[in-house]
Amino acid sequence: MPIPTVSFTDERLPNGLRLLVAEDHVAPVVAINLWYAVGSKHEAPGKTGFAHLFEHVMFQGSRHVAKTEHFALLQAAGGTANGTTWLDRTNYFETLPSHQLELGLWLEADRMATLLDALSQENLDNQRAVVKNEKRWSYDNQPYGSWIEKLYGHLYPPDHPYHHPTIGSMADLDAAALEDVRAFFRTWYAPNNAVLSIVGDVDPVRVRSWVDRYFGPIPPNPGLPRLELPPLPLSLGGEAREVVPDRVPLPRVYLGFRAPPVPDRRLYALEIAAQVLAGGKGSRLHRRLVREERIAQDVALFVLPFVSGPSIVAGWATVRPESSPGAVEAALHQELARMTTEPITEDELGRARALVETEELAALQRVGERADRLSMWATLVGDPGEVNRQLERYLAVTAGDIRAACADVFAAHNRAVLTYLPVDGAGERGEEAAGEPVPLADAGEVAVPGPVVDAGDREEAAG
Amino acid sequence: MSTLDALEAALAVRPVPGAPRPYHFPPFSRGRLSGGLPLLTVHLPGRPLVAASLVLPAGAVDEPVADGGAAVLAARALTEGTERYDAVALVEAAERLGASIRAEAGWDATVVGVDVPVDRLAPALDLLAEVVHRPTFPEREVERLRDERLNDILQARADPGRRADEAFVGAIYEPSSPFARPAGGLPETVAALDPDACRRAHRRWPAFDRAGLVVGGDLGGVDVAALAESLFGDLVPDPAMDLVAGPAAGGAVERTFVRLVHRPGSVQSEIRIGHVGLARRIPDYHAVAVMSAILGGLFNSRLNLKLREEKGYTYGAGAGFDLRRLPGPFSARAAVNSEVTVAAIADTLAELRRIREVSVDEAELRIARDYLVGVFPLRFETPGPVVGALGGLVTHELPDDELARYRPAIEAVTTADVLAAARDHLDPGRMAIVVVGDADAVGPGLEAAGFGPVEVVRDDVPREEAAHG
Repeated sequence: MPIPTVSFTDERLPNGLRLLVAEDHVAPVVAINLWYAVGSKHEAPGKTGFAHLFEHVMFQGSRHVAKTEHFALLQAAGGTANGTTWLDRTNYFETLPSHQLELGLWLEADRMATLLDALSQENLDNQRAVVKNEKRWSYDNQPYGSWIEKLYGHLYPPDHPYHHPTIGSMADLDAAALEDVRAFFRTWYAPNNAVLSIVGDVDPVRVRSWVDRYFGPIPPNPGLPRLELPPLPLSLGGEAREVVPDRVPLPRVYLGFRAPPVPDRRLYALEIAAQVLAGGKGSRLHRRLVREERIAQDVALFVLPFVSGPSIVAGWATVRPESSPGAVEAALHQELARMTTEPITEDELGRARALVETEELAALQRVGERADRLSMWATLVGDPGEVNRQLERYLAVTAGDIRAACADVFAAHNRAVLTYLPVDGAGERGEEAAGEPVPLADAGEVAVPGPVVDAGDREEAAG
Repeated sequence: MSTLDALEAALAVRPVPGAPRPYHFPPFSRGRLSGGLPLLTVHLPGRPLVAASLVLPAGAVDEPVADGGAAVLAARALTEGTERYDAVALVEAAERLGASIRAEAGWDATVVGVDVPVDRLAPALDLLAEVVHRPTFPEREVERLRDERLNDILQARADPGRRADEAFVGAIYEPSSPFARPAGGLPETVAALDPDACRRAHRRWPAFDRAGLVVGGDLGGVDVAALAESLFGDLVPDPAMDLVAGPAAGGAVERTFVRLVHRPGSVQSEIRIGHVGLARRIPDYHAVAVMSAILGGLFNSRLNLKLREEKGYTYGAGAGFDLRRLPGPFSARAAVNSEVTVAAIADTLAELRRIREVSVDEAELRIARDYLVGVFPLRFETPGPVVGALGGLVTHELPDDELARYRPAIEAVTTADVLAAARDHLDPGRMAIVVVGDADAVGPGLEAAGFGPVEVVRDDVPREEAAHG
């Protein structure tokens, strides 16, 4: 089944804003996705968490939009919206009925041009409190919630900005001041540091005229800083280990490895390897640890792709009560090593390719995903045309590529190992009934981490 | 005109929307296979990734008390082996097609489905039929899935959100109601589940009410009816099987009270406030949808504006009804930093009272209606959600025009309808307030606040005894 090609126009406004437009009239909807090339890697020491806090402030109004009005206008238009921040970038996006496109463009332009007019201590303090509760909810109060911060900490040295997580620290969040917001906005939120993608039921000529009208007069920042980062070797050069006592009922072993940065082709081999190892019930780790030996409750393995330093391959296995973290960790290492010693079969490769093909087809049928990917490739590697080359890059991966990539990455001197152990009192079961009110996801289908997602859109109660 | 003047001139004028493109929920056709199974097909041009779901009326609500958790376990075990394939061979066969077979049981139904490119629809449906017709429920795999569920119950205990959900349903339903426990069951019953319990759950439907095969996508050139007939034409219900009608979902709350679940060291309190709510089939469904959106469904809902955007107490607050065939829960929800637990509950209760006492204003009503109407086409961009919505019609025995008339029915909701829905279905005087947090930190404040009597639940069984296996 051929994957449909995304046909798009690629233009740059005089002020540097890159505009990508793809028409698709199947459904009466349009997606806007605006990426800024600024993320938590641009944060100075003592200012961790700021890029993400700033993203929250972007929803607090601008010169012509009052507090709470950003969402009120989008919702009245029948649209959904959100924003996310990660190490390398920040993005803002809306999906709207197609006749409401101009509203979305105007809202994005108004905050790109005039955010600081609406900035107040009260709004900053309010969103600081919200973000601190986001940190508590997503990390501090969650079983195993510290794992991503710990992996970043072990895999990147303290002088590298990938060392700290996007959510930041409570102390730094407390210290963020209005002047920080102003400086951050003036430095990074300029049209020449942004890519605007629009995909869906649109007339490209009208799109261009609206974008010229609302974004065209926004001044660029001619002094956009270049981020100079210390180069890091692709190998960690040793094994980092940490035992983490936590309020968890079952131990869990996390593994993290340095991997090549985007757009290194070896990442495609590692993605296929992750599918073969942990992508569902037919995968090697699931079969051995969960199905056959029954030492793990679940397994996961995935790539976290970054551009300014090594990416990460991370994974975990939750240890069943009858087993031990040591046995589970040993089995994980053996299976990862087996990717090198026992190359994957043609059948394994064929199955992984077929699943990747379906996943690409599923993702690209949504206008929001197409807009996100166009902006992503333009921002991270400069070439939005990558959106149409992903499937061929996956299908070009050979068993030899996978063996070579796995041999480099899954090495003992290139890994961090976290062992979460229950502390006293965790996992107690009282008189009351325990459980959860919804059917379980299949073992092996796990939530994979990604950017810090924000404003939060909800489903209505009905439907 | 300078550049900045041009900018101000452009931004000072708010855009006016263009003319909306007409939208209709995709028309679907309904037929029946020779054995009686309803077939719903929906042609979606330009959508080559097809979604197919077989909806069966075998839900957790229908299982006997002693089999609690069997429907969920049976759904998970369906793909663990059939007469022709063992579990690994089955998943490999699906993967070669680029397909994954899903099987899930909820309270009201079991849905077995597959998403697959249209050119491989026939072999994928063949695998689906194999799973539905000839599951073997191998003992060793059922045992493993049962143990995984028991372990998951342990994990849920440590997760504050899941712990709160579980304590909440236990607080609002009579212990005899199936809804007082999770659909996946509790250790007392799950520990005893076996292949026979799975077989009973899998075949627990005496008629084809609430069953159907739903197929959606770009079906041009595919004879879905012939394909379905060849694979599912002989599927028939088991007339010997009795539905164990779930008892009416009785509310357990006579007067508002607080149940505080002690989680030492918690930096937040997970809060659930509510009572037994509503069934899906109610005459004022659309008024309830609008009322819920205003109270706690929109980003700019009253609860989220108050607790997040005004007070900064939480990352997100919301409220809504879980609509089932029998009345599911209504809950308002938020996770707040421990220090503001009492204040957040007071604000939530105030909003629950206000929406019953004073009519919402026209502007609020308009935003909520316009949102629900406008977002409707966005929800149905791809085949999966379209097939899912049609599956909902099957499960809830709703008329075929239910989805087509959704938008006009929402448009017709008035402020008086919203007020009536709130007055009829919210009762702040008889709510359970469940808090999962550090009882030593928040207990005294809750006692002093006077929301109602405070019960403290301390999980204090030693871990060794609780662990199984």
